[in-house]
Amino acid sequence: MTMLFDKIFAHSTRIIAITVLLVVAAIFTILFQESLLSIQSNGFAFLSDTKWAPNLEKFGALPSIMGSIISTFLAMILAIPVAIGVAIFLSEIAYERLKAPIGISIELLAAIPSVVYGMWGLFYFVPIVRDIFGGMGIGMLTAGIVLSIMILPFMAAVTRDAMNTTPDILKESAYALGATKWNVVKDVIIPYAKAGIIGSLILALGRAIGETMAVTFVMGNVHKISMDITQPATSIPVTLANEFTEADSDLYYSSLFELALILLVISFVIIAVAKSYFLRRTRRTS
Amino acid sequence: MATIINIPEAKAIQVNNLEFTYNGAPEPSLIDITMPIAKNSVTALIGPSGCGKTTLLRAFNRMHDLYPGHTYNKGEILFEGRNIIDPKEDLINLRIKIGMIFQKPTAFPMSIFDNVAYGLRLQGTKNKTELNDRVEKALKDAAIWKETADRLKDDANGLSGGQQQRLCIARAIAVEPDVLLFDEPTSALDPISTQGIERLVTELKEKMTIIIVTHNMQQAARVSDYTGFMYLGELIELGKTEEMFVTPKERLTNEYITGKFG
Repeated sequence: MTMLFDKIFAHSTRIIAITVLLVVAAIFTILFQESLLSIQSNGFAFLSDTKWAPNLEKFGALPSIMGSIISTFLAMILAIPVAIGVAIFLSEIAYERLKAPIGISIELLAAIPSVVYGMWGLFYFVPIVRDIFGGMGIGMLTAGIVLSIMILPFMAAVTRDAMNTTPDILKESAYALGATKWNVVKDVIIPYAKAGIIGSLILALGRAIGETMAVTFVMGNVHKISMDITQPATSIPVTLANEFTEADSDLYYSSLFELALILLVISFVIIAVAKSYFLRRTRRTS
Repeated sequence: MATIINIPEAKAIQVNNLEFTYNGAPEPSLIDITMPIAKNSVTALIGPSGCGKTTLLRAFNRMHDLYPGHTYNKGEILFEGRNIIDPKEDLINLRIKIGMIFQKPTAFPMSIFDNVAYGLRLQGTKNKTELNDRVEKALKDAAIWKETADRLKDDANGLSGGQQQRLCIARAIAVEPDVLLFDEPTSALDPISTQGIERLVTELKEKMTIIIVTHNMQQAARVSDYTGFMYLGELIELGKTEEMFVTPKERLTNEYITGKFG
């Protein structure tokens, strides 16, 4: 009887697990199917063309792809030093009594819905960026800043957890050789936690590149590649969110699906890289 | 009352009436410790778990100061003619002079060479030839040169446990400390590696003073010149090792070394 129950249990979990795989495969298939028209008529030029003019049936994805990459890159540049600083403070410098309250508030920040970041960015941040850097206020720079604030809590929390895995005895042996706190952080903790830190950065990168709501508000949805980051631009998720309702031709519709496919592939690659880092780390520590 | 013998040799360290309490603990963990440490000899600290032997060891290089709230209530530790538990003591300097080896090997996540050069670089040694010479000397003194000479650039974590512990000893002696503290250095090692470390301890006393905490009475008997027996935060007896294991003066020492408790 118990044997039978075990068997049923094992099979049902197996079915559930396979369902997840099926869903992923289904999403991929649909995206590919819907993109087929665009892939056939736009060809590889879709990836390199800069002109996006649906009324002329011209579809170039480069402004969206570049917008995604540049805004994410800006966000990472801004967020990484702050996140690592916060993590060092929380794991090594803060007093015990401070650690928990600050740590918990940072984890709470990670729970703010991205649409709230977007609204806050549009109504509060855009005017500030306009006053300081000129331009319209809406654009790549603002999107980068809002994104960086959004991914920072997650990055800081995971980096702190990675740093906390450094054994006390390892830190003590550095102190026992006459190391200062700065030496210990730089020479022992960061190298020891390196794999975990890089993993957290890549996961944050994956989140930033696919983020839609927060950047839709502040990006501007202008299909232009501008060297000036204060100018309005667009990114893949922003284009998708803004234009699906307007897609009046089959090719337009299919081109948007191909954009979605590109985004999915980029995110997949990022997560795969992050995973391989985490796996290498667990192999080493076990 | 405790039986503390007089030591004919010069003293490297003299502890007087030391009392120490951990953060938040109701009772002190070290009670009125008075203890001489003979220069260029091995002093072993033995006693059951929780007796304070590691706590005492970690007071010598002020390791307790890494964590807030631990307090030295009373007493003094004299080293080089000054009281090193003075709050004004320069801890960086002190820890260069009083090195430490831990319960488990603690190779840093860097190459074998960089591990041994770490303390030297902290002190500002940049000259390549000097670094090379001192790393080689330290590895030779720690009896691990033969195994590492052709792989100095390799990650130190690729070494075996016993090799890593000798690497840690090389790292500690590279900065030429006056005193070396061993906190149960062989508790994570196999018998053959243990033998290697014990031989090393007896060789190193030519150059420096050694204090070793051990769970293992036989180990204390094998390596040490003096043995201190601690119980519930007090130093019960300090004597010459060969005398203490044969004719202990205190009843508690006798019961511990004959295995009545522990």
